[in-house]
Order: sequence, then C-alpha cells, then structure tokens
Amino acid sequence: MPKTWRGHVLCAYAMAVLVFLYLPLVILAGYSFNSSRLNAVWSGFTTKWYVQLLHDRYVLDAFTNSLTIAIIATVVSTVLGTMAAMALHRYKFKSKNFIDGLLYLPILVPEIVMGLSMLVLFSQVQIPLGKITLIIAHITFCLSFVVITVHSRLETMEPELEYAAQDLYATPWQTFRYVTLPLAMPGIVAGALIAFTLSIDDFVISFFVAGPDSTTLPLYIYGLVKRGLSPEINALSTLMMVTTVALVVMAQIAQPAENKKEE
Amino acid sequence: MKDGRLLLAPAMGWLAFFFIVPMLIVVAVSFASRTPYGQVIFEWTLESYQRLLEPLYLRIFANTLWVSFLTTFLTILMGYPLAYYIVQLPKKWQQPGLILVMVPFWINFLIRSYAWVIVLRSQGLINSLLLKFGFIERPMQLLYNDAAVMVGMVYALLPFMVLPIYVALEGLDWRLLEAAYDLGASPFKAFRKITLPLSMSGIAEGTIMVFISSIGMFIVPDVMGGAKTVLIGNLIQNQFLSARDWPFGSALSIVLGILSLILIFLYYRAINGSKGGAQNA
Amino acid sequence: MKKIIFLMLTVFTLLLMGCGGSKEEKPQAEEPNTSGKQVLNIACWPDIIDPELVSAFEKKYNCRVNYDVISNNEETLAKMQAGGAQYDMIQASDYMVEIMIKLKLIDKIDKSKMKHVHNMVPFLRKPAYDPNGEYSVPYDWGFTGIVYNKKYVKKVPTSWADLWDPDYRNRVILLNDSREVIGMALKKNGHSNNTTNKAEIDNAIADLKGLMPNVMAFDTDTIKQKVIAEEAWIGMMWSGDASFVRNENPDIGYVVPKEGGVIWADNMLIPTTSRNPKLAIAFIDFLFEPKNAAKNFEYIGYDQTNLDAMPFHTEEFRNDPVLKEARDNANKGEWLKDIDEAIVMYDRAWTELKSGM
Repeated sequence: MPKTWRGHVLCAYAMAVLVFLYLPLVILAGYSFNSSRLNAVWSGFTTKWYVQLLHDRYVLDAFTNSLTIAIIATVVSTVLGTMAAMALHRYKFKSKNFIDGLLYLPILVPEIVMGLSMLVLFSQVQIPLGKITLIIAHITFCLSFVVITVHSRLETMEPELEYAAQDLYATPWQTFRYVTLPLAMPGIVAGALIAFTLSIDDFVISFFVAGPDSTTLPLYIYGLVKRGLSPEINALSTLMMVTTVALVVMAQIAQPAENKKEE
Repeated sequence: MKDGRLLLAPAMGWLAFFFIVPMLIVVAVSFASRTPYGQVIFEWTLESYQRLLEPLYLRIFANTLWVSFLTTFLTILMGYPLAYYIVQLPKKWQQPGLILVMVPFWINFLIRSYAWVIVLRSQGLINSLLLKFGFIERPMQLLYNDAAVMVGMVYALLPFMVLPIYVALEGLDWRLLEAAYDLGASPFKAFRKITLPLSMSGIAEGTIMVFISSIGMFIVPDVMGGAKTVLIGNLIQNQFLSARDWPFGSALSIVLGILSLILIFLYYRAINGSKGGAQNA
Repeated sequence: MKKIIFLMLTVFTLLLMGCGGSKEEKPQAEEPNTSGKQVLNIACWPDIIDPELVSAFEKKYNCRVNYDVISNNEETLAKMQAGGAQYDMIQASDYMVEIMIKLKLIDKIDKSKMKHVHNMVPFLRKPAYDPNGEYSVPYDWGFTGIVYNKKYVKKVPTSWADLWDPDYRNRVILLNDSREVIGMALKKNGHSNNTTNKAEIDNAIADLKGLMPNVMAFDTDTIKQKVIAEEAWIGMMWSGDASFVRNENPDIGYVVPKEGGVIWADNMLIPTTSRNPKLAIAFIDFLFEPKNAAKNFEYIGYDQTNLDAMPFHTEEFRNDPVLKEARDNANKGEWLKDIDEAIVMYDRAWTELKSGM
C-alpha cells in the first residue's frame, strides 16, 4: 500500500482502537501496585501483591487448572473443528443444512442453559465432575467457533489450487499437506486463538460443570469479587500480559533473518 | 465421500452427544411445569411459551435485538480498519499483531470490566483529566447508563470481529486491487467494488459471532450498566437462579435460539444475494 | 490423518461406553487420593474462613480440605438440583436453608457430636428458617441497613424513605436482589417483607419506580468499592460489608432504619450426598472452638454467632459501631422466608422495575 495520507489515517485509526483495547489494562496494571486491598482508591505504591501472589496456593492452583484446561480444549477443538471444516469444504453432504444448523446451535444457546443442561447430562451418565467434565464442556463450546472460522477461510480460497495439485498427481494426503493446510493456516490459527480465548475466560458453563478441586481462575475470581477483588489478581493479570507480549516479541526477534527480507 | 464422513464424524459425534442430548432435555423442560418450590415436574403445558407473549417480555426481546445490532455495527466500524491495518503489515508482524489484539481478552473478563469502571467512574481517569484541564466543572456520570453498556459490549466482543475479517482479507488476491488501480479506479471505488465484497465472508462470520454473543450477554449490563437494564440474557439468568422457574427459562432460551437461527438464515440470504451482485458488476 | 481419526473415534467410543456402563453402581467411588488421606470437599463463600485455620485443621486431622468457592445461594441451589453437588459441607443463607430442607437436599446435623456450637446468639438458636435448629449451624449474621457518607449526607438517615430525597439523584445504591430491594420498599410502607399480597407488592414497585432517578446502580458484588470510592452516597448494605467499608473510609456511617429490615445469617450445612459427614462435623466444630472462632472472625470482619468466642475478641471488634448497631437492633429484623410460587410474581415485578415498564 502506498504511504499516502490514507495510509496514515488508517494507521492512526488502528492505533486508536489499540488504545481503546489497552487503556483499561494499563489502569489495571497500575492498580497492581496499589497498597489498598480494594481497587477503590489509590493509597500508595507497593509490590507486596506480587510477593503474596507467589505464595497463594489457591490462586496458583486455579491458574494452573485454567491453563491446562484451555490448552487441551484448544488443541482438541482445533483438530476436530479443522477436520469438520475441511470435510464441509471438500464434500457435498445431503444433510448440509442440518449439519450447518448443528454447528451454529452451540453458539446460539445461552451459556447458563448449556452449563445446566450439560450438568444434567453428566450427572445422569455419572461422569464425576472435575477437570474432565470441564474439558469436555470447553471443547463443546469452542468447537463451533473453530469450524466456522476455518470454514470461512477455506471458502475464500480458490479451488483451482487444489485441482491443480491433483492434476499433478498429488495424493490426497500430499494435496492436503502441501496445499490445503498451508492455505488454511491463518484460519486455523484464528480458530485456535478464539478457542483459547473462550476457554481461558469462561465462567458460566464452567461454574456448573466444575467439581471439587477443579476451580479455574475465572471461578476463583468471580468468587473473590464478592469479598473485594484483591490486587493480587491484578498482579497476576499484569504478569500474564507482560509474559505473553514478551514471548511474542522475542519469538519475532529470534526468527531467522531470511524472513526479514520480506519487509 | 467416505473420507468426508470420516472427517466430519468426530466433531458431529461430539456435538451430538455432549450438546444435542442436553438440548433435548432443555426442550423437554420448556414444556414442563414448576412446583411451588421450583422443582421441575413433567406435566406438559404450553404456559411458559404463552407467558413469552406478554408485552413486558416482548419489549425486552426487542431491546436486546437493538443493543446487539448496535454492538455488531460498532464492532465492524472499529474492527474492520484494524484488521485491514494488520493485513497491510509485513507478513512477519501480522501474527504478533493479531496476538496483540487478543491478549487483552485473556485477562479475566470481570477484571477488565472493573478496569473500565475505574476509568469511567466519577473520580476516574477521564473525569479527573477533564476536571484538571477545566473542560468540565463537575464530574460527568459516564457509568451506569446505556452508553457505558455499549462500551462494555464492544470491548468484550471486538476480537470476534477482528479475527474473521483478518482471515478473509489475508486470503484476498491483492493483484485484483492493483489491476483496479491500473484501470484508474479511485481507492474508494476499488475498496467498494473489490475489497469489501471479497471480505464479506469475514464480516458475515464476525457478525454472526458478535451478534449472537451479544444477544446472550448478561454480565456487561450488570457491571457497566449498574444492572439497571434487563436484556434477555439477564432474564434467562434470573429464571434459572432467583425465580427458580426452569421451564420459563428454557422456553426463553429455545425461542432465542430459533430467533437467532432465522436471523442468521435471512442474513446469509442477503449477503449471498449482494455478493453475487457485486461479482456480476 | 486416518490414524488420527481412528484414534479420536476410539477415544470417543470408549468415553461413551464408560459413561453408559456405570449407571448401576450407585455409591460413587471414593475420591482418588494417593496419600490415603481423608478428603473434605467444601463449598463456601470466598474468604469466609481464615486459610490458616484450614491448614491447622488439615494438620490436626491428617486430611486434605478442598475449598471451592461459591458466590451465591441461587447458583448453589441450581447446581445441587441438577445433581452436581459432590460436597461434604456447603454454606448457604437463611432462606436457602429453608428451600434446601424442603427439597431434601441437606441432612440433619447431629449436634450432640459437637462441643462448641451450643452457646449461639439467642435469636439464632432456633431461627425461623430451621425452627428446631436441626439442619443448620449459623456461622455469621448481619442486618441490611442504610449506609451513608457523612460528607454528602448531612442529616443522619432514620428511615428507608430518606433514600427518596431528591438531593441524592444518581447517588443511591441498592443491592441487586429482588427480595432485598422489594422487601425494603415493603418495609418502608410498613408491610412484611415476606408478603404475597399483590396490592402491597404493586405499591412497593410503584414507589421504587419513583426511586429510580436516584438509583445509581444495583450491585451486590462490588457495592463496597462503589461506597468507598464515594461514587454512591447512600444506600442499602449488609452490616458486615458496612463494617469493612467503614474501616477503609472513616466518613462512612451505618444505621438500622426505624422501620427495620432484613436480618440474615449464613449457615454451615451438610448435603444429603455428603461422603464424609463425620469429618464435616469435626470441621464445623473446629471452626467454632472459641479461640479459633475469634481468630477467624477477626480475619473475616463479619459478626460472630458464637457467644463463647466473644471474650477472645479484641475490644475493637466488640465495639465496632456498625456491628454494634446491628446487634442492638436485631429485634427489628425480619428473616426473608421462602415464598413458594410468589417468587415468580416478585421476579416479574423486578423485571418490570428494571426494564422501566
């Protein structure tokens, strides 16, 4: 794109949206250094919440649970969802409308209904509540988002590429591995990001299907809100944010130089 | 065809067992009755559906649809340029850019919402700044109203718009644009005739995800709106919790689901219609 | 690819079979615990037990306590009704105890096995929601009164009607709970907050609609922050919260209005599905040992139910003006009772109020 005034306007606009996204987070990080126990008023600088956080068994357990569940749910739902999206893209099904409907429904159903109805199911078939039920539930609500995202990516692709590969006697596996998969990758990554984001922050469904010893971070935080959110949670959020951003930046810097030429 | 079924089977099987089966229970409950203590008994009745037709509840439905429509519109307005900007970045910076957009959403939703409360409340950041520079004399009430609810909604759902639009734009054949420029099309015309129609699938997916999610939203009106508005999400929540009226809550959910399905269907028809038109032009 | 599919299918089928098969074996398997320790699964409000006491109990009884956090009564009930409560001990408020008794979700507690729960605050020995005191052990209690900020509210409020003062436009805070708020308006009009009389409720709702221009927000969970940060000037609040708020902001005052209001108590309960009621009883008793109880409630900040623990408290706790105001006026309180199907009427009225119709 030529660097015109239009380019600058676009850049400024995008930056403004980013400020909108990050403004509350900067405040949040600031309050992790606030000495008052409540996020109500500023009463002095401290780092004690970070120290306390490292010794808080409940918060750390909840954080580990959340991360484990989110990673497993993301991987499984991304694999299952991508497979389904490819099938929908490549093959014509007689019951296509039914399948589409089935895929959209989990997004349409209010969380509390999904949570409660799954709880009824789990208790009917006697799956004890715990991490397993949490993972099952998270996969269930992530799956549709992944299928939709990947499918929409595949739809924008030109089918000629796949046909060309087949004309060149590529096996279906080779076509998939070297043509379809790389082309679908942005969609898969986006789907996985959505799944992870949904899972790590889910409260309502998790509340109903969680059992003893499987408290996730959102569950813990929702409980804590009633007594007043401790800045420990701000500290944890700040650490999470800083770590993720740092990892992303480092991964970029560490990339081999050849990619840089594209700039 | 056989391969296709095999690929589809795990996801479908999963949903059939862990989603459809529970949903059938919900359908059954919506036709059931409630004991005085709030237990569900399976004496069939249409009462829950009849209650839905009361003007009070119809108005809540209408209000929710309006809020969701506005949220979707605003997320497109904010999300599209952002996604477009990220696509323009060098390849290497695109994925980090996307992750930067997503990171805020890995922080707990409640925490983020309360951070907004700190920004917007009467002694908050914005009011303090405006007071300091003399733009206002008394703090403005920025929170606990419809505008604050809207800020919260957009903030909560923006990534679900940015991601699909990015994915669609990323797959776009930019040579088409160059060709258009070569043929002397103005940037605006090129955007309207080429970029927009070709990224429509992304907007469509984003719209569906954002619209549907905002229809079921209930925490944002509580935190940002001071719980002074009732959306369907709140109403359903109340039926399962404080009112202990599971049949009515189930009926509300089912009608909400069907309504959303119809909207999606109509929306897709409209989109496909306009896309076909654009391609012919 | 096919291998992956095959694997997924196998796992799925196994899962299905595993689910369907075990239906006959009614008593659930014991929690897996590697160390052979006993496990106590409890679900309580967050921060309502001093973590040091939990650790002390774990040591004394060589067991592990899983402390799960619940944030409100209704969610606990919904979860238990759907068959999902695998807890040995839970916590719930007064009116919810009544409902859980009716729904047979909780068991009687054998209080003869306990040493320290017998010298309760008098009005909690046989409370209205559990008339024989068989099912519940009241743990903390309080009163819903008026909280106000002396900087902005110049005249000490005496009545719920003071919330309607036009000077407090957009500055009044109410709990986000239909029974509490409608009950407050009922009290103001001199009615019972458990009424099922339609005319009285309609009247209360009409009055509340008149209050709406003053209402800044309905909030239960973060009401404390809003009052401490002086966003809200006046409103209704639980005494335990008000005591906390006053410690953070000295301008805060708390009164029980002349019409009275809701008195409430949180209780320790044992669900019928409890796998280890013995250990649960031991745990409750442990929390009520006077020294432990005193330490515990200094940490929590809500008011004690155990009179034996009072001598072990600091002067500050015993004379806390907010807690004292509640204690002195406890006789003005009325318990919220379960009102059966009338709850649907309350909910409709509540929805009407909030959606402005």
